[in-house]
Amino acid sequence: MNWKLVALIFAALAIVAGSLMLTKATPMTAATEMFKGSLGSPRAISGSIREMTPLLIAGLAVFIALRAGLFNIGVEGQLLVGAFTCAVVALRAPGPTGAMLGAVSGMAAGALWAYPAGLIKAYRNGHEVITTIMLNNIAGYLTSYLVAGPFIAPPGDYPATATLGEATRLGNFLEGPVAVNWAIPIGLLATAGLALWLRYTVSGYELLAVGANPTAARFSGVDPARVVVRSMLASGAIAGLAGALQVLAYEHRFYADFSPGYGFDALGVALLAGGSAFGVIPSAFVFGALSRGGIRLAIYEVPKGIVGVILGLMILIAAAIRYRKVKTVA
Amino acid sequence: MTGVSKRFGSVVALDQVSLTVEKGTLHAVVGENGAGKTTLMRVLYGAWKPDEGTIQIEGKERSFANSHEAMLAGVGMVSQHYGIVPEPTNLQNLILGAEGGAIIDLAEAEQRASSIAKKMGFAFDWHAEASRLSPAGAQKLEILKLLWKDSEVMILDEPTAMLSPADSDALFGSLRQLVDEGRTVILVTHRLPEVMEHCRRVTVLRNGKAVADREVGETTSQELAQLIVGGAMVAPEPSPAREPGPPMLDVSSLTVRGAKGHEALKDVDLTVRAGEVVGIAGVDGSGQRELYHAIVGIVDPESGTVGMGGADVTGRSTADRLDGGLRIIPEDRHAEGVVEEWSLVENSSLGLQRWAPLRKGRMIDTKRRSEWAQRVVDRFKTRHGGLGLPLSSLSGGNQQRFVAARALESQPRLIIAFQPARGLDILGTADIYRAIRQRCDEGAGALIVSFDLDELLEHCDRLVVMNSGSLRRPPEGREKDRDAIGRLMVSAS
Amino acid sequence: MLSLSFALVVIVVTAPLILAAMGGYTSERGGVINIALEGKMLAAACLTAIVSHQVNAPAGVLAGIAAAIVLSLVLWLMTQHFFIDHVISGMAINALAAGGTNFLFGRYRQSDEIPQLPLAFYTVTAFVLPFALWLYAGRTRGGLRLISVGSDPEKSRLMGIEPIFVRMGGLVATGVFTGLAGAMLVTDTGRFSDNMTAGRGYIALAALIIGGWRPVPAFLACLLFGAFTALRIELVGSNVFGANLPSQFWSMLPYIVTIIALAGFLGRSRSPAGLGKH
Repeated sequence: MNWKLVALIFAALAIVAGSLMLTKATPMTAATEMFKGSLGSPRAISGSIREMTPLLIAGLAVFIALRAGLFNIGVEGQLLVGAFTCAVVALRAPGPTGAMLGAVSGMAAGALWAYPAGLIKAYRNGHEVITTIMLNNIAGYLTSYLVAGPFIAPPGDYPATATLGEATRLGNFLEGPVAVNWAIPIGLLATAGLALWLRYTVSGYELLAVGANPTAARFSGVDPARVVVRSMLASGAIAGLAGALQVLAYEHRFYADFSPGYGFDALGVALLAGGSAFGVIPSAFVFGALSRGGIRLAIYEVPKGIVGVILGLMILIAAAIRYRKVKTVA
Repeated sequence: MTGVSKRFGSVVALDQVSLTVEKGTLHAVVGENGAGKTTLMRVLYGAWKPDEGTIQIEGKERSFANSHEAMLAGVGMVSQHYGIVPEPTNLQNLILGAEGGAIIDLAEAEQRASSIAKKMGFAFDWHAEASRLSPAGAQKLEILKLLWKDSEVMILDEPTAMLSPADSDALFGSLRQLVDEGRTVILVTHRLPEVMEHCRRVTVLRNGKAVADREVGETTSQELAQLIVGGAMVAPEPSPAREPGPPMLDVSSLTVRGAKGHEALKDVDLTVRAGEVVGIAGVDGSGQRELYHAIVGIVDPESGTVGMGGADVTGRSTADRLDGGLRIIPEDRHAEGVVEEWSLVENSSLGLQRWAPLRKGRMIDTKRRSEWAQRVVDRFKTRHGGLGLPLSSLSGGNQQRFVAARALESQPRLIIAFQPARGLDILGTADIYRAIRQRCDEGAGALIVSFDLDELLEHCDRLVVMNSGSLRRPPEGREKDRDAIGRLMVSAS
Repeated sequence: MLSLSFALVVIVVTAPLILAAMGGYTSERGGVINIALEGKMLAAACLTAIVSHQVNAPAGVLAGIAAAIVLSLVLWLMTQHFFIDHVISGMAINALAAGGTNFLFGRYRQSDEIPQLPLAFYTVTAFVLPFALWLYAGRTRGGLRLISVGSDPEKSRLMGIEPIFVRMGGLVATGVFTGLAGAMLVTDTGRFSDNMTAGRGYIALAALIIGGWRPVPAFLACLLFGAFTALRIELVGSNVFGANLPSQFWSMLPYIVTIIALAGFLGRSRSPAGLGKH
């Protein structure tokens, strides 16, 4: 038994319970309400699944970079430019072709947005955390300018693009009380593809080698700089896809403050997922359910920040379990 | 020290060891790797607490909670891996840990530092960054650090491992001066000539036990060697003379710039033929590392060419070279050869991931890889707890066996080995060199870098010497002459 | 344009950046990667606002500093005792701070203006600090040990210096400096608002890196960022080079400059070798 870990988990629970004591909700009612709000009814489950979608795909984006030893905080910005580009392109070419073109161009935009960070990391040793944070800010200002100016939908009193036609939208894969959009099977397929690629291909093996020990990778005939740039491009493309699918499946347009921080939550999703891409699926679902359930707490005047606190603590605990360095005896 | 024991889990590192050192003498502690030398010294230095046993200094019983207390009591240690922090200056390194006050008076510190250095006959640029020190300079600074702290008992762990013979002699000169002043020096080493030449008494450790304690004048290096390994030494088999085959490695007029922009390799020519085991002797930092990097293909040469198996590979990637049969036993296996958190199976294909037997097209052949991993651990009888466990579950010596087997079993055509016997005992070392020899008999060529001249002399067909970036050849007919090679290692050009 | 009022704006917008960057300095020089400057500033700003309102201005500043120290010690605990990756710990702390401040301040509704310390208190501290730290690093036992631990923790340990305690000291200092930075933000604007740090912690970190982890160059980098921000404040809405550039353009500028700086000559600056090691 690891007493340090137990202490950490107890401290985390105490913080959450303590915070709730400050409000009108008791920890017990808060827990039941959150459960009801996220899993209690078919409607609630549909909502949780919807919340899960961007987290799943953006989580994969963070995950692949993480496996290559890169901490891509820039998923947020890549997702934004992906969503914006997708909306603009899909509006020009209605119908399924437009959706297709929108998704592809969204991925291209996301990859492009990640490219400088990859290059600077690979060839200038500039830390990707810093560059991607900068790129996030630029993406935020740039898209908010574009959607408030050149691409605003008439009459122009709200900074948003026009809405996609029915034919261009992504429909439901499952209808019924629990609705599931096509974006979910696409995300699951991407997860499986990524997991198998990393496990069974030579190039996946080489990516993992660079992430685990770049020097050893060089001596093993792998060029870490090239792998870094490619992983960053792949990560950006997946993040762009997350934004594009969000537009095609749910939002049907792009608007200012499009993302409530999907890219940042995706960091937590990927960290919670651990070593296998399949871990991203339950991890994204937990995050999605928590943020969905958090909405219901507002009835008890519990500010939504409590969800952030819970997620932050979960990241820490997951990291404490998974990322502990093994102490070696000299 | 009386009856000292120390256990790590179920492993007994020290078993009832007693050691008595007379004040004002140079006392040697010898033994194989893993015999418990370093552990014993760390207990004395206060870094580790003994499970049983006592320590007495000048008749008084002492117990140190940490190395700081030991330092206050006048016991100081220079570890094998120098405790010199790269970024601060030489002077700051000297006073680190014993600054003598919250605010540092640099002028006063420099004065005292200079006077200590002068007494020992050393000279330092006090305000240069310590990362620029040569190995010999670092060793000297380490000794000054002990003097700065007024240590009476000084422990030196393998101090000459990185030094040239001339620097070693100078070091022993300084040590003798310290002993004459009444200080006590304990020397941990595996080099018997040093013991015979410079020390007064010697204690031999084997498997965590003190097996002998002798006056140096009353023993011979033969007897000590037998005590160390616990049996008669096997005489090395003479290598039969063979006709070398076609060149496997052809380095010509190679010049490489080092990290600081200087010419780390100057116009080096070297050919290794099939069937040949060529050793590169030299003091650490003479350009061996740059040559090794240039052959592996991770630095681009300034000028000159590298050829392998008759083809020019200059400017080609490491992957291409591995594809052509280059196999590496790396210098620092943690950094260059393995991923410690990966399983043995995953590590068994590192560097061989594109080797045809282990893949099907772009896919990994997982079944063949598992069989391969089994072959790798079997080759040198690597002791492991399961092929699925992380590599970090292996001891250092077993990791080295694993890495060596991986290179030597995968159809090598050119073997480049940088200190291949690092962390291995005498028998393990012999095993690995025998395997290298076997591959060379089958038509491969091997280039070995080592800082241990005796190891090279014992196992190589011929030796060349690196000295400040240039390659030198011993005179015709004296390719394995210890004196001639020793001179080439240190003489100025 | 280069008037006294412009200079004053530069000073006021730069000071919190300097304080935060120096907080990053004492942490990263000891080898702890500190991506959590942002969260510490935010927590400090929130606590300063609440306690200033309830008690008085000095108590508010102390509460802000205390909050930042607590988060610093959480980072210390996570990285040094639980051996969690430094960047992950920092991100988690930022999430905790963002959620926690939203929660606390959402519970607590501020009606009127809060009592404040004079701005000069912060600006003077901020502009003296880099030089003080420069002296501290070169001339004192504590400074030497901090840099040694950040350069090579293993070897420092051999010299009888415990990295874990040296780092605790460094992180407490981080708490004090980022706490002051957060308190200053509240003083400057008069109230707390959600996510009011708006990425200043990251900009401060970028300044530290561009300055090569040295206090005075990092200070100059902060000044550069401050000048860009002040330019935006001055120039928004006015014609520059005959064009009316949108405000977003001015907001983007410092980030674009940072990327160019990292892509160009500054990318290769040397980081403390022991960053993230145990």
